[in-house]
Amino acid sequence: MATTYKSLSTNDIVTTKTLLHEAIPITGTIVSGTYKTGDNEHNIKNYTHAMFQSVYDYPYLSSSANHIFDISAGVHSTSHVITASGGSAARTGLVQGLKKQNIYNQMAQVLMGYDSNNDIRLFDVDGDLNAGGTKIKEALFVNFSRLITKDEIKKGSFSMNLGMGVSFASASATGDSFRYRDSGATKSGVIKVYDKNAQNDYRVNSPAGDYGVLYASSSNADVLQNNDNADSAVGLIYYQAGIAVLDAGLFHNSDRSAHEPDKALSRGLLKSTLNDPHMNASGAAAQNEMGGIMVSASIPDVASAIRHRIQNIEFNNTTVLNSTVYFCRAHHNEFNYSTNPTYLAGSKLVVKNDASNTPVSYITTVGLYSADNELLAVAKVSEPLKKDPSNELTLRVRLDY
Amino acid sequence: MAFLDNSGDIILDAVLTDTGRKRLARGDGSFNVAKFALGDDEINYGLYDKMHPSGTAYYDINILQTPVLEAFTNNTSTMKSKLVTISRTNLLYMPVLKTATSSGLQGVPGIPKSPSPTSGGTYMVATTTASATALGSSAFINGANPSSNQYQVAIDQGIDNSNRPATVPIDADLKETQYIVHMDNRLGTLTHPQNGTVASYSFLDDDNIATYYFTTSATTGANNGFAVNIGLHDPNTVPDLGNWTSLAGATGSRLGFAIKASANLADSDFLFDQIGLSSNFSTTGGDYRAVDSIIKIMGGTTGYSVEIPIRYLKKV
Repeated sequence: MATTYKSLSTNDIVTTKTLLHEAIPITGTIVSGTYKTGDNEHNIKNYTHAMFQSVYDYPYLSSSANHIFDISAGVHSTSHVITASGGSAARTGLVQGLKKQNIYNQMAQVLMGYDSNNDIRLFDVDGDLNAGGTKIKEALFVNFSRLITKDEIKKGSFSMNLGMGVSFASASATGDSFRYRDSGATKSGVIKVYDKNAQNDYRVNSPAGDYGVLYASSSNADVLQNNDNADSAVGLIYYQAGIAVLDAGLFHNSDRSAHEPDKALSRGLLKSTLNDPHMNASGAAAQNEMGGIMVSASIPDVASAIRHRIQNIEFNNTTVLNSTVYFCRAHHNEFNYSTNPTYLAGSKLVVKNDASNTPVSYITTVGLYSADNELLAVAKVSEPLKKDPSNELTLRVRLDY
Repeated sequence: MAFLDNSGDIILDAVLTDTGRKRLARGDGSFNVAKFALGDDEINYGLYDKMHPSGTAYYDINILQTPVLEAFTNNTSTMKSKLVTISRTNLLYMPVLKTATSSGLQGVPGIPKSPSPTSGGTYMVATTTASATALGSSAFINGANPSSNQYQVAIDQGIDNSNRPATVPIDADLKETQYIVHMDNRLGTLTHPQNGTVASYSFLDDDNIATYYFTTSATTGANNGFAVNIGLHDPNTVPDLGNWTSLAGATGSRLGFAIKASANLADSDFLFDQIGLSSNFSTTGGDYRAVDSIIKIMGGTTGYSVEIPIRYLKKV
């Protein structure tokens, strides 16, 4: 019996799972500066609801633009941002206080979940929820687009360089956002926030999937109060959700008693000898230091201040490829003839002179069919493969999902 | 000592066809790969040079240099010619599908009247009664009333070479027992050549291509009687009317069908405007709006296929 189809048995089909990683570099100039005309940043999208700000890799009105990430800021209701100096009195000059709480609660309920009383958990610095411990009450959120995180961020690959230079200006006598001057010398003010060793040390007690702890380090020992150690945890990175949560205290002097309104922040992670970075061009501390802007600036303004401090972001994304591999086996006595119209001339095989010659055919395509002979998938070889009774071929056809 | 070449195991990335995507989206388990076939659409075996002076290694040098196209995702545009498994290696002749024309025998009872190809080998189908009336006695399929005349498309399967005489049976493993027909369902449907019974299609894909199956075995249902065996005959003598064929050699089976034009063509000019010829077609009876299409017929066992050009006509 002549046949053109060959059935696949269970021994010919195998499913595999492959993790595909891509390196995603996001340079600070894209995030802040490249597409700027005056004060108008064409790749930054603000919304009338002012709950977050979107960053694109190109002016967002263009169809070529890709959404990279969103930035938002939130505070817990017990934060000093909301209640001045820890008291019950509402903070004077508080801007978008309710929306900042709403953002915090929304992110926390999705990323941290609820406790046994169905109260929303606060973001915990080390992920140990039972031990109490330090909470992040003033948070900055960087929500990466699904377009670049794909299925998840690869554990241990995330890093974000932030400038802690005191000056806001791009170049001034006191340095800029990424450098500062000390005793006449220019020093690096850049810190790296990264998920140190997260591939071996991450948490799974979040309803949003796996997450890791973000630590801060700096090549300049004078920048961070705790440099690259267990006490330098500054945030959380949620791998499947593609969200980085940063403690706003990252931009704040550890000597919290020194300044008002900096006491608005629950934590201070910079060295006490380092002045707070100026987050915008305004003059007074209440307007330009992180503690001040968390109180008196809108969420988009806080987002713009953070963007100005981003030197670069890097991570590897992960795409989970589920593949089915079909082993299409052409044995020595199979597929040696063709129904190609050029194969015959007057019903006679053109590749044979007489009946004793061995038949030959050439493979260019593999078709995968349903039981009712409908063509479901097609695979091509790069060059024709010769098939005759003297050889056997196993073509591994992979279908990715 | 050199390393062994382990490149014999080949990994290929497959792409889903439109039908595959449709079935996957349906989510009802109908996406289930059960079998495979190998194709050689790009190969021109005429390049196989059995007389190459440099020897056997050069016989297929031009074939092996054939560039291969990327995969088409349209399910009907690829895998048109498949490789065949026949365990014997001593075959010199293989069966083909050939349109049966019986111009010399038209009107003889029992002989399928297959229209003589006209206008470049295209079969004519009248879409309306008015069109059929205008075409008069010319050779055409009456798509408005398919059983009203004996014209049909008849495809004979067998060896078209007198070196394998028709007086001996075709080898059993080369005899076609099943036919697969693809046609544009917007334009028409297949009907039985004698009684006008409309055939049932098995599957309609996203491009409105209907797939029909016919077997030479007796079945219950609308698709019975389209495919029949052809017996032995001697083409040099007065033909046995029931076994007449246009093949020169051993015969296998025959598929015959007429075509019923769709209501889309009979009642509307939309498809004539959208996919029809830009100018009217002139033939017996005057001018006609025309839509050209093809019907693909493939042997389910032997895999050989032919494409029949069809022209649907509507009297202006």
